[in-house]
Amino acid sequence: MRPGIVAGILALSISVFQAGLAQAGQPVTPTFDNQTGTSGLSSRYQGDWEFMVGGGVSAFDCNADGYPDLLLPGGTDKAKFYRNDSTRGGKLTFSEQTSGLEVDNLLGSYPIDIDSDGIMDLVLLRLGENIVMRGKGACQFERANEAWNFDGGKAWSASFAATWEKGNNWPTLAVGNYIDPEQDMLPWGSCTDNWLHRPEQAPGIESKRFAAPKPLKPSFCALSMLFTDWNRSGTPSLRVSNDREYYKGGREQMWHIPPGGEPVLYSEEEGWKYLRIWGMGIASYDLDFDGYPEYFLTSMADNKLQALATLPKDGKGPATYKDVAFAHGATAHRPYTGDDWHPSTAWHTQFEDVNNDGRVDLFIAKGNVAEMPDFAKRDPNNLLVQNDEGNFIEMGLAANVASMNISRGAALTDFNLDGKVDLVVSNRWKDAEIWENTTARAGNWIEFRLENPGANRDAIGSWIEVKNAGHVMRREITIGGGHAGGALGWHHFGVGADKDVEFRVIWPDGREGDWQTVAANGFYVVSPGKAAESWTPSR
Amino acid sequence: MLNLLWMRARAAVIIVLLMLTPVMTGVSHAERMPPQKVLQTWYRLVLELVRHTSNYSPPVAARSFAYIGVTVYEAAAGGDAHLQTLAGQLNGLTAVPAREKGMAYDDGVVLNAAMAYSMKEFFSHTGPTGQHAFAATEKKMHAKVSDGLPDDVVKRSTDYGQAVAKAILEWSKSDGGADVQNMGFPLKYDLNPKPGHWVPTSLIRQQQMPLLPNWGKTRTFAMPKGSTCRLPPPIEYSEEKGSAFYKEAEEVYNTVKTLTPEQKTIARFWSDDPMLSPTPPGHWVSVAWEIMDKEKSDLPTVVDTMARLGVAVADGFIGCWDSKYEYDLIRPVSYIKKVIDPKWETLLITPPFPEYPSGHSTQSGAAAAVLASIFGENYAFDDSTHVADNIPTRHFASFKAAAEEAAISRLYGGIHFRAAIERGLQQGYCIGAYTVALKTRK
Repeated sequence: MRPGIVAGILALSISVFQAGLAQAGQPVTPTFDNQTGTSGLSSRYQGDWEFMVGGGVSAFDCNADGYPDLLLPGGTDKAKFYRNDSTRGGKLTFSEQTSGLEVDNLLGSYPIDIDSDGIMDLVLLRLGENIVMRGKGACQFERANEAWNFDGGKAWSASFAATWEKGNNWPTLAVGNYIDPEQDMLPWGSCTDNWLHRPEQAPGIESKRFAAPKPLKPSFCALSMLFTDWNRSGTPSLRVSNDREYYKGGREQMWHIPPGGEPVLYSEEEGWKYLRIWGMGIASYDLDFDGYPEYFLTSMADNKLQALATLPKDGKGPATYKDVAFAHGATAHRPYTGDDWHPSTAWHTQFEDVNNDGRVDLFIAKGNVAEMPDFAKRDPNNLLVQNDEGNFIEMGLAANVASMNISRGAALTDFNLDGKVDLVVSNRWKDAEIWENTTARAGNWIEFRLENPGANRDAIGSWIEVKNAGHVMRREITIGGGHAGGALGWHHFGVGADKDVEFRVIWPDGREGDWQTVAANGFYVVSPGKAAESWTPSR
Repeated sequence: MLNLLWMRARAAVIIVLLMLTPVMTGVSHAERMPPQKVLQTWYRLVLELVRHTSNYSPPVAARSFAYIGVTVYEAAAGGDAHLQTLAGQLNGLTAVPAREKGMAYDDGVVLNAAMAYSMKEFFSHTGPTGQHAFAATEKKMHAKVSDGLPDDVVKRSTDYGQAVAKAILEWSKSDGGADVQNMGFPLKYDLNPKPGHWVPTSLIRQQQMPLLPNWGKTRTFAMPKGSTCRLPPPIEYSEEKGSAFYKEAEEVYNTVKTLTPEQKTIARFWSDDPMLSPTPPGHWVSVAWEIMDKEKSDLPTVVDTMARLGVAVADGFIGCWDSKYEYDLIRPVSYIKKVIDPKWETLLITPPFPEYPSGHSTQSGAAAAVLASIFGENYAFDDSTHVADNIPTRHFASFKAAAEEAAISRLYGGIHFRAAIERGLQQGYCIGAYTVALKTRK
């Protein structure tokens, strides 16, 4: 071989190698197209002091077409329900429809199939009475407080979580309540009790109604709650993120919720650390593939990313978390673009893989409480994209989602069923915004919907595991977290270059489904003991 | 004791004056809130807003306590021939508006108006809940203090209270401490890279820079300047085992590792973290109000206490910060993790600024000096500041005993070396003496 050719090949090899190096740690930049103007959405989160929190969005399919529909809160205005008319891969298109969900004083909502009839119900969190709405099909809902013996109270509610405790056919709902709005001269220290709504009957006996709510004392102005099996013991605990602005003697909390038993707070003796933040939102995901979820907690200025200090064994171990936000570039403490350098205020948060590279990314809705001059007034939402080293890189501006509106709630879900996670965000005093994910170089993907026969139709409390790039991605199926709203339906995984996907489901009762291999870039309905069924959108 | 006797004599005079007041205004005051209660109600809100206003670090809180205290003192002094104005005594305060001679004023309305005006300005950065609470308080308090009074008295008293507050506010603007951005953390600051100097102790991004590095240059109130009571240098830095500095660090290390339940209680009682408590200066203001409530203190005592206590803690932080940034000393946690035990943890959160001296020690020394001068050297009291936070009341035999406990709590918390504690207290006594020397009675 001539020296010139050798030199050329060598130079080419070096440049390819260098290009590879340059890309290491630099994930694909996602791109989003703001389609608010053409989407059909027109909804604002209105109101003054009593609506400084809330604004949560819920996304769910209520007409069995597979496309997630939307409920947007109006605060002092009526909430608006939007039917998803999008077509596969098409522009995001919605139509406002009367649904029965059009209530005022709504701070947020969460979808949940309470009566396990296969039709989605909703829990509406309000300033005043909370309402459970039974789904009747075709996106019509009716009040069910009386039928299900649900005491809606009259508090200021902005957080929610749900689980099916072992042996129960009826869910357990946790409602997080905020300050007493009547304490207007000295509202601090007036946090009202969170409530645990359990089934009327003891575990093992069929229930069709809720028992009288049980106050969770002490309560410290919860703004996000999540039932999560943090130690993989098989029994979820209840994490509660509290707003330190209003509690006295308070802290972040986690409750033992033994099935049918007395709730007990995790103690310092169990490793639970004394942490006080302006807790506003919770997102969870197993980021480091160790089998246990990490938790992202939104706050003001620095946010927290918590990882277990010691991995449990057989479901037992200290409930001690270390903050790794700084180390992983996830503090998201101030605006990353614009001219406002003040600290940020963070609300809804959610892990989803927006570029389908097999690493979930982190969205954070940002916005001043109202007019707090020491915090950023122009506070862009964050899109922190995770690289293959587990670090987060801010790409909100490049991705075109750096909205400067005063944001609160959000939902990241695949609205047009093209395999890419889209985004909707609610704003105080401004129209909600929606973006289609248009990432051209996105990887392959797969989406699952779980169908559990009998009670707990959506298999809340199960884990979906997907093999990819030499590790196992795990998603815990939960209802709760975020800020005042959540999505329930398809569960999305990016799988990078993989064309075939090996996955399994660990069901809420602990049964481990078989590993199955299916083709990437498709939708699958999974039930226990059955092969996954491929599903295709009808439009 | 002399002070107490004098207080009782003054109280008798005030009772007579209060009996005469209806004659002056032509209206019964029986159902209206007394001026002391007006102030107590407002100060409850002040203590909450200090906790809930994000730029209120302890030095900033102390500054506001001083200006608000001087405001209410001067507003009351304008109607009390026995109170000596602080104009001409406090640095830069040359004159305060006077009341019109021969015209009727109501002290409750005057003080209510002064507090409302002052708080609106000093807490302009508080959040929507603070603003909401302020508006509700202002509305309800105005109705309570003015009910049954002639309109002209209400207007004259309101105008006067606002005029005094405005004058104090204008004075405050030139002290160098009025504009606090980014919660007091500079966006740029060159850390001293040499061993022994302060390094960040927190994983919070904002706190990678030290808090308020120029606060020591802020205009003082009663003492001549920030460096007036500057401390000698700290113990010479050394990482050698057996050196004086190492031994000092070893004491912190061993103390935290062997804390008794009582020591933990003391550390947490005086922790007084910003945004989670009324801060260290607010703790002393809370102590003062608990005492004044128990003693049913008269108005001159109340305004004198609020003014001088505020001045003492404000000067305390300025003097302390002057020394902190003069010496820029490393915190125990940084040293111990580097030299003794990388896994060691403090009990309390280490504050994000240099170690020497201890801010709580300095300002507690100054506060104790002032309170002892008003209520007596051996005045025993209960401190229920943190009861709402589920931290029980503690009893103290004297203000000095409380200050000493506040100081040593920083050793138990693992956030200060002994020298910073003991010398900080001495610095506080030095600073407090300037405030004690202020003449408030004619």
